[in-house]
Amino acid sequence: MDPKFIRNFSIVAHIDHGKSTLADQLLLKTGTITQREFREQILDDLDVERERGITVKARAVAIHHTYQGHDYELNLVDTPGHVDFHYEVSRSLAACEGALLLVDAFQGVQAQTVANAYAAIDANLVIIPCINKIDLPLVRTEEVLEEMHTVLGIQRKDVLMVSGKSGIGIDDVFEALIERIPPPAGDAAAPLKALIFDSKYDNYRGVVTYIRVRDGRLAAGMKILFMSGRSTHEVLEVGQFRPDMKKCDELGPGQVGYIVAGIKDLGSVRVGDTVTLASRPADSPLPGYKAPQQMVFCGMYPIEATDFEKLREELQKMSLNDASFSFVPETSDALGFGFRCGFLGMLHMEIIQQRLEKEAEIDLIQTAPNVTYELLMNDDATVRVDNPQEVPTTGGIKEFREPIVRVNFIVPAESIGTVMQLCEDRRGTYKTTEYLGMKRAQLAYELPLAEVIYDMHDRLKSITRGYGTMDYEVIGFRGADLVKVDILVKGERVDALATIMHRDQAERRGRGLCKRLKEEISKHQFEIPIQAAIGSRIIARETISALRKNVTAKCYGGDITRKRKLWAKQREGKKRLKQFGQVEIPQKAFLSVLEVGDD
Amino acid sequence: MPFCAHRCGYCDFTVVAGKDHQAGDFLLALEIELASLGQPREVQTLFIGGGTPTHLPVSHLDRLLTLATSWFPCATEHEFSVEANPAGLDAEKIDVLAAHGVNRVSLGVQSFDPAVLKTLERDHDAQQVEAAAALLSQRIPNFSLDLIFGVPGQSLALWRETLARAVALGPMHISTYGLTFEKGTAFWNRRAKGLLNQAPDDLERDMYAAAMDELPQYRFEQYELSNFAKTGFHCRHNETYWAALPYYGFGPGAARYLNGRRETNHRSFSTWLTRVLSGKSPVADVDELSPADRARETLIVGLRRTAGVDCAEFRATSGFDLDEVAGAAIARHCTSGLLERTATGIRLTREGRFLADSVIVDCL
Repeated sequence: MDPKFIRNFSIVAHIDHGKSTLADQLLLKTGTITQREFREQILDDLDVERERGITVKARAVAIHHTYQGHDYELNLVDTPGHVDFHYEVSRSLAACEGALLLVDAFQGVQAQTVANAYAAIDANLVIIPCINKIDLPLVRTEEVLEEMHTVLGIQRKDVLMVSGKSGIGIDDVFEALIERIPPPAGDAAAPLKALIFDSKYDNYRGVVTYIRVRDGRLAAGMKILFMSGRSTHEVLEVGQFRPDMKKCDELGPGQVGYIVAGIKDLGSVRVGDTVTLASRPADSPLPGYKAPQQMVFCGMYPIEATDFEKLREELQKMSLNDASFSFVPETSDALGFGFRCGFLGMLHMEIIQQRLEKEAEIDLIQTAPNVTYELLMNDDATVRVDNPQEVPTTGGIKEFREPIVRVNFIVPAESIGTVMQLCEDRRGTYKTTEYLGMKRAQLAYELPLAEVIYDMHDRLKSITRGYGTMDYEVIGFRGADLVKVDILVKGERVDALATIMHRDQAERRGRGLCKRLKEEISKHQFEIPIQAAIGSRIIARETISALRKNVTAKCYGGDITRKRKLWAKQREGKKRLKQFGQVEIPQKAFLSVLEVGDD
Repeated sequence: MPFCAHRCGYCDFTVVAGKDHQAGDFLLALEIELASLGQPREVQTLFIGGGTPTHLPVSHLDRLLTLATSWFPCATEHEFSVEANPAGLDAEKIDVLAAHGVNRVSLGVQSFDPAVLKTLERDHDAQQVEAAAALLSQRIPNFSLDLIFGVPGQSLALWRETLARAVALGPMHISTYGLTFEKGTAFWNRRAKGLLNQAPDDLERDMYAAAMDELPQYRFEQYELSNFAKTGFHCRHNETYWAALPYYGFGPGAARYLNGRRETNHRSFSTWLTRVLSGKSPVADVDELSPADRARETLIVGLRRTAGVDCAEFRATSGFDLDEVAGAAIARHCTSGLLERTATGIRLTREGRFLADSVIVDCL
């Protein structure tokens, strides 16, 4: 295919601004899918994505469109739509020359609109701004145009008016894609350089690698080299997504497609890596490769110790489909043998957990998630800590560092004060305020990631009555006065309940934590003291009184079945308890750390 | 027998109040349901409860008892119990009971204290209880008194007095029930709205302990979690349930356990009536357990008896060894002090009686 007739583009938008619907409309209009095949959001094929209406994995589809008598190949590279996947977004964008920037005609510019627009600008993409959902009964197009201009410098003459749902303005979109986005540059004769922007595991073919060719040609039978992964493979098949995988003879400069090369291990196919030919490698890889960086960790333990191996198998299966998820065995005094699992962010964690629950029949105890920390030791060595238990109690730490994120909020002007208060409470550092017209403003703060991930988004939604949005990006590690708070149940330290927090918050949160645990742990035959401690200093205490009476008064002929079912239900509930010494601690207790916020 | 003068706020039994005019229909339907037996069956024990069987007018009561005894002729040495309420239990009705061979009456006393009776929405007073007990002592001296503790507003001293007054009436058997808030009752809803305060569990425990400590002093031995009796006066009918032996059941909400299968009739009187009268099965719920689950059920009902569960008897009834079905839980609670091993089996300790449900749940 002559690159002159190829356009590679992506669609970026804030969540729910209609990205997937517009994508479907483009597919439908070009006959890539038929009306019969048409289903809502065909590009999101993970269950979790459908359920939550967000795209997690990148997708690619080749669309053929005739314009002014020529057949054009338009490659739509769909990007993940969540803050957890910044790096993945940047790689998908790197596979394109242009991007459709969608803004909801009523909701206007939101935090992820800004984040995604800047990501596209950083990737040197031509931006085609669109106001979407213009057929909604309630629109504020004029103000939205104003916001786009103020925040992103977009000229109103460049903005297309569209509706992904009804197809309004779709022809303008095709025209803009072809006229405004430059054709890909590339040298077919140069050594092969192709960017990996995603991969998936297929039970029959092994790893399917999603690529965008920069230079050279790629065809079946070639021996390829992953430049960062340093592994070589023989290409068994190349093809394009239309939208299902369709084999083709070769992929040339500018084209987007897939490689099947009999690769069994998803870990060896890294997003951002460069594919070249083993026999004639490129001088240098494409810029921008980074190893996946897990920022959020939690422990996963089988309730039945005998399920340990089964859990390992299930986790392995998960990582087969998701190279950015990591797990290593760990041991807890309280919970026995389990795994410390690493995720890109909270959403990523929830996705993996949901899939585990759905696919694996293992009763799990999951500990509260924590961010990763960096310890600068007295000997100047730097240590990464993914688990609060690993923090040495004996000192030797010169500096305790935590990950910091830059958070952009877009909020109604009248909420600025409360949002700022929220950020102050969470140890934020104020950066900037910028007004988007009269009614809304963009606020930037630097905040510790630990203060953001658990419930910042929910809090923001509640204090702005749903109108505030946010987006964040990790900017590095910074020293802080952090301490490990231990929890003692009946005098014994429960390692899996240890948390790291700022010293100033320790007493308040320690008290809150003891209270929550008192609610979660049911009464036993004996009294149970619950204490929070920093080192050997107790900072909070609650006591669960002993169970004094628990007996069913009547159990006669007509009661037996009903009572037995009731007891059996209680028994079922107890299966999710972990025996710790004499005390049974429910799964929920291990998560109570999260619920102790600002109260 | 579902009819009652009115429904008390804590009651969740199959009871209808203000529908006495349907008593004839009830007896007709009961006759049809009983006819499903095909032929009369001889039984060791017979129990008519409700509701308030003695709430029926004499003619209906007579027909009810005739029906029951014609389908269930009693073996020699049989036990034939009927439940009664103090209000309205007169000599004439007691004569009818005795004439049909009723040899045990269970009297719903609950309390002697006017305030407690009012809270419980009972329709009798202490004098009526004393009068009923006096009549029974002459005609059917094997009578039992039901008492309730843990009633909102009831003090420990008041409960002790209740126990003493009950003993003084000369019953052979006393049942003491901790007040239970059952889902769907008026009490349940009032508690949820904060209009009724459940007694603190420390107080309930002390009250239960008072029964356990004081009744034996008057030779009422505790033979089940809620039941005390003089020697030879256990309720044999109820012991059938705790031994997981088979039994029949007829009437709305009645349960039966036959051939390892538990069935319960519709709890709604009108549904039961309509179904039986139109020739349909009144069964609402069938519970057929696997042999192992049935064995566990046998264990948990058996544990309610003070004597506990006998290994050999358990094996004979269930086909399993105790340790096979609940070895870990038994071992744990022998350590925790809620269970103890006896020469021939296991039983709840005194402490275990306060926390029986904790043991039972672990045994499932």
